[in-house]
Amino acid sequence: MTQPHPDTQWPRWEIFKQDNEKRPYQGVGSVHAGDPDHALLTARNVFVRRPAAVSLWAVREDDILNATPEEVGTHPEVLDTPGEADTYHVGIKKTHKRSMTFVDLVESVEATGPGDALRQAREQHADALAWLVFPDSAIARTDDDPGTVESWFAPAKEKTYKQQQYYGVIGKHVGELKREGRMPRRATEEPHAGDHKVYDHPHDASPAELKTHEVQKPEVQK
Amino acid sequence: MTAPAMTLSDVQQAALIRKLTALADDEIILAQRGGEWTGHAPILEEDIALANIAQDELGHAGLYLELRRALDGSDADALAFTRSADEFTSARFVELPKGDWAFTMLRQYLYDAYEALWLDAARKSVYEPLAEVANKAFREERFHLQHTALWVERLALGTPESMKRTQDALNALWPYVGQLWQPVEGEGGLIEAGLLPDLNAVKTRWEGLIVPHLTVQCGLILPPGGAEQPGRDTHTEDLAPLLDEMQRVYRAHPDTPYW
Repeated sequence: MTQPHPDTQWPRWEIFKQDNEKRPYQGVGSVHAGDPDHALLTARNVFVRRPAAVSLWAVREDDILNATPEEVGTHPEVLDTPGEADTYHVGIKKTHKRSMTFVDLVESVEATGPGDALRQAREQHADALAWLVFPDSAIARTDDDPGTVESWFAPAKEKTYKQQQYYGVIGKHVGELKREGRMPRRATEEPHAGDHKVYDHPHDASPAELKTHEVQKPEVQK
Repeated sequence: MTAPAMTLSDVQQAALIRKLTALADDEIILAQRGGEWTGHAPILEEDIALANIAQDELGHAGLYLELRRALDGSDADALAFTRSADEFTSARFVELPKGDWAFTMLRQYLYDAYEALWLDAARKSVYEPLAEVANKAFREERFHLQHTALWVERLALGTPESMKRTQDALNALWPYVGQLWQPVEGEGGLIEAGLLPDLNAVKTRWEGLIVPHLTVQCGLILPPGGAEQPGRDTHTEDLAPLLDEMQRVYRAHPDTPYW
């Protein structure tokens, strides 16, 4: 049984998304959910609003065994982790680069248990940064009937997908405001108008500075 | 292939505009209620999910108002953000305050079932632009319905507290839900002409879907049906404060550019 988690009473599920029929399933993140159906529904909302997918898998974290080469070095007994004989899916992490996906599911192996599956993953993919295995029986899958594909995955394909940086602030891009000196260039920087330091209250400035620069308080939108 | 534009009589056009506006108004108000949960839902994932559903509903309002624009040249933003409560034609069912999570999920469930089945029937409309919109929106509504049906079931079968809250929500909502089935003025003529779905047939399907789910599956007790409701020109006192908040930015900065 799943133990209650300190951060939530619901178990965590790792979500694997397939972008199209020819692509591998890729780990995209996790959701907390009460049961497999709930996990898939929330995963669809969290991970498939944009841009595209054809299928989702949800696997409860308790059903996943993962390890880094360092962990296998210090705890070799992980390779003996017991469990059911099954077809195990093997995921590997190949890069530290942060992106939308973290783990690719590269193959499936027949194994006597999760430890054995991890051992095979390690032999096949010695250069991976981390390995992850879970039994086929642990997967909650979205249905592949036309109705499900139409209602879960088709709408996202017709929606515009924009990277975060596409969006500016309303009216003006933040870079433009910075160049005009209407926003601090660094988080810790005091307000400037051009090269001149400005103050919210005139008495904050020394009289000499005010005389020298005749700084006007910029229009600050509260 | 572009279907030849259908010629509507003045009476038909006026009735269709009324119906499209009523459909859009329900979506706008319910989306606003859903949006009120943003940052406050019981768990992050559901916060995102409900915001997603609310955005979809708002998108459907946009589709309906685009159909209206094609008929009378009206502007969707102006309709949404400058009309007063008296001018809105939303049902009181969607105006009621968001309540607790059980109330929100149950209302959304009843609405999603209604909208999904209405849209399903509207896909066969002889008015081609509406059939197209219905095809598009139906897919999203089907997914919403799965999500909210799951929540209603889990709340009703969860703890005594969640069961009580879900039953309370049903008791509070049931007298209002019948308003969704009231035809707008002139709707009967459009139904006869095949432009709009037969409301009674959709209602029968709706009852066949939600009554067993609520009673058999979820163990809830259906309250007795409510008395005859006034029309869409009568609003709850909750609508005006909702519009005040929803329209504040547009009214303060009507010519602000957006992305």
